[in-house]
Amino acid sequence: MAKPKILVVDDDPDLVRAMRLRLRANNYEVTTATDGYSAIASAQKDRPSLIILDLGLPVGDGFVVLERLQNSDVLAGIPVIVLSARDPQNNEERALKAGAAAFFQKPADNDELMNVIRVSIGPEGAQRAAWPS
Amino acid sequence: MDQPTTNVLLIEDNPGDADLVRLRLVEGQSPVKVNCVNRLSDGLASLARETPSLVLLDLNLPDSHGAETFRRLMEHSPNVPVVVLSGQDDEVLAMKAVHHGVQDYLVKGNISSKNLERAMRYAVERQALLRSLEIAQKQQLEFKNQFLSHVSHELRTPLTCIHQYVTLILDGLAGPVAPDQADHLKTILKSVNQLHAMIRDLLEATRAESGKMRIEPRCVALGELLQQAVAMLRPTANEKKVGLEIGLDQRLPLVQADPDRVLEVLINLVDNAVKFTPADGAVMLQASLVDADPDSVYISVSDTGRGIGPEAKALIFERLYQDPDSVDNNRSGLGLGLFICREIVRLHQGRIWVSSEPGQGSTFTFTLPTYSLAKLLAPVITHQNRLRSDFVLVRIELTPLSNPPRGNWKETWQQCLEIVRRCVYLDKDLVLPAMGASGAAETFYVVASTDLQRSGIMTTRIREQLERVSDFKAKCTLNITTMPVDLQHAPTDESLDQQVQNVVGCVTKMILASMERKYLSAGKSGQNAN
Repeated sequence: MAKPKILVVDDDPDLVRAMRLRLRANNYEVTTATDGYSAIASAQKDRPSLIILDLGLPVGDGFVVLERLQNSDVLAGIPVIVLSARDPQNNEERALKAGAAAFFQKPADNDELMNVIRVSIGPEGAQRAAWPS
Repeated sequence: MDQPTTNVLLIEDNPGDADLVRLRLVEGQSPVKVNCVNRLSDGLASLARETPSLVLLDLNLPDSHGAETFRRLMEHSPNVPVVVLSGQDDEVLAMKAVHHGVQDYLVKGNISSKNLERAMRYAVERQALLRSLEIAQKQQLEFKNQFLSHVSHELRTPLTCIHQYVTLILDGLAGPVAPDQADHLKTILKSVNQLHAMIRDLLEATRAESGKMRIEPRCVALGELLQQAVAMLRPTANEKKVGLEIGLDQRLPLVQADPDRVLEVLINLVDNAVKFTPADGAVMLQASLVDADPDSVYISVSDTGRGIGPEAKALIFERLYQDPDSVDNNRSGLGLGLFICREIVRLHQGRIWVSSEPGQGSTFTFTLPTYSLAKLLAPVITHQNRLRSDFVLVRIELTPLSNPPRGNWKETWQQCLEIVRRCVYLDKDLVLPAMGASGAAETFYVVASTDLQRSGIMTTRIREQLERVSDFKAKCTLNITTMPVDLQHAPTDESLDQQVQNVVGCVTKMILASMERKYLSAGKSGQNAN
């Protein structure tokens, strides 16, 4: 089975490199972008299974990217996890309303992040665990 | 020079005194317009219509006497300068008014046009200065908040990078790591986490200061929270060879509190206690009831450290306070922890204090309100001192479809809770605080003063509104059940209190019966609280 592909968008290339290493170690294929415009272009070209998105980006910030993705028939279904240093109190609700599946503030706990990635990608990437009732 | 007209509101009921003041005002150099009323209520009404340049206030009026008069006036119009007209035997009271914030006082019988004019002019000037100072302080606070929010964002970016690479190497993703190297990396990670906590505190304190901190109270068993706090700090305590124990009062009732926030307070206090306790010392966490104050639970954290001196005791909850004697204990944080604790406790309508003797250790204590169903229910199930007739218990259960839940689950259920609150009648229905620690499935209970048939309208409304939440059906399942509250015996000679207790007893039993087993033990002590 092909590995699920994740697009990592962040304007800090060092962080992108670290994320790539960690995601590969978790059996994902990784593509990257460091600005809003190339994020959209990459999403159209690569059709990733999931996008990890920073909010503060050059050439179209994270919210612009979210809006573009939502307005596109083919891209709207891709789950987006926002990973930002911004204050969740002002940005979390806004990001979720704009279509993000989850919001993590940097620095995020690696295990939690990997867990949400696994669930968001869905059945083909990871089994859906039922919550114990 | 053309002077602007001074608009004076004169509140004085004695016609002779009023005329005299009016005369003195007219004699003065500058143009004056006087509006005279003889009751405080008329004065307040006039102030509501238009703002005068200043108020001349007699303290003994037909509808208000003494200190009450200036208190009410200043509460109503805090920004209008006030000069009190006092009797000769009343100067003590007049001074009190000045301490309370009125600008000046004049003693009747000693009022000349000159000293009246002078008092008025200075009163107006001083009030204007005060006002601009207030505005400047507000702007400064706003600037500081924005600045701190910006700084915390900027600090997080490099911190994230350090965190990522350290964990990358530690997890062995960049090649094998020797045991020594792993130890060093863990030391770095510990410092990174400390830095992270400081940045969080900085933002949290800013939020508390500007009134933006929020709590979501639930019905909570404290024992679990105390155990969580201890479990989190056990490793640190063991490392320092400090004992860490819990003492729980057997009669402990449930409390109404935000569990995440209370845990934050507990962790902060226990962490401090461990930090300031030498090896072989002990830290004790206790939750107990105090007979004199049955509506609160007292939670305390005691240590066997070197204690806190009186000066430090007075300032310890203030923002940025650092005990000068403990500076050598270098990594003591920013001095925001206890300030945040105090603000969280304050939002719960609780109190926090410290008792300590130097050399004898310290005890930090805070209070939380007990969860009392009777107190919550009484206003909605009674009307004009009589018990309403029919009650139903509605149980609304939200179960997330996946683990972890899709999106931000806390956000989702809080949004749902808000919707449920909007779907009930405030005067006769009550949405009970959520039960237990917030986790996966969320259950809300509504006690509604209505019969089973009409409650259907409410539950339909709740269901329709909830299903409009975006992505609701992809996130969770909704289960609403309605049960009539069956008041087995209702002798008419019971007092209203007894009748309320009867309903509370039934509702408690129904909730307990419908709850999961894990809440049963906590719930039993809850019954005592009611």
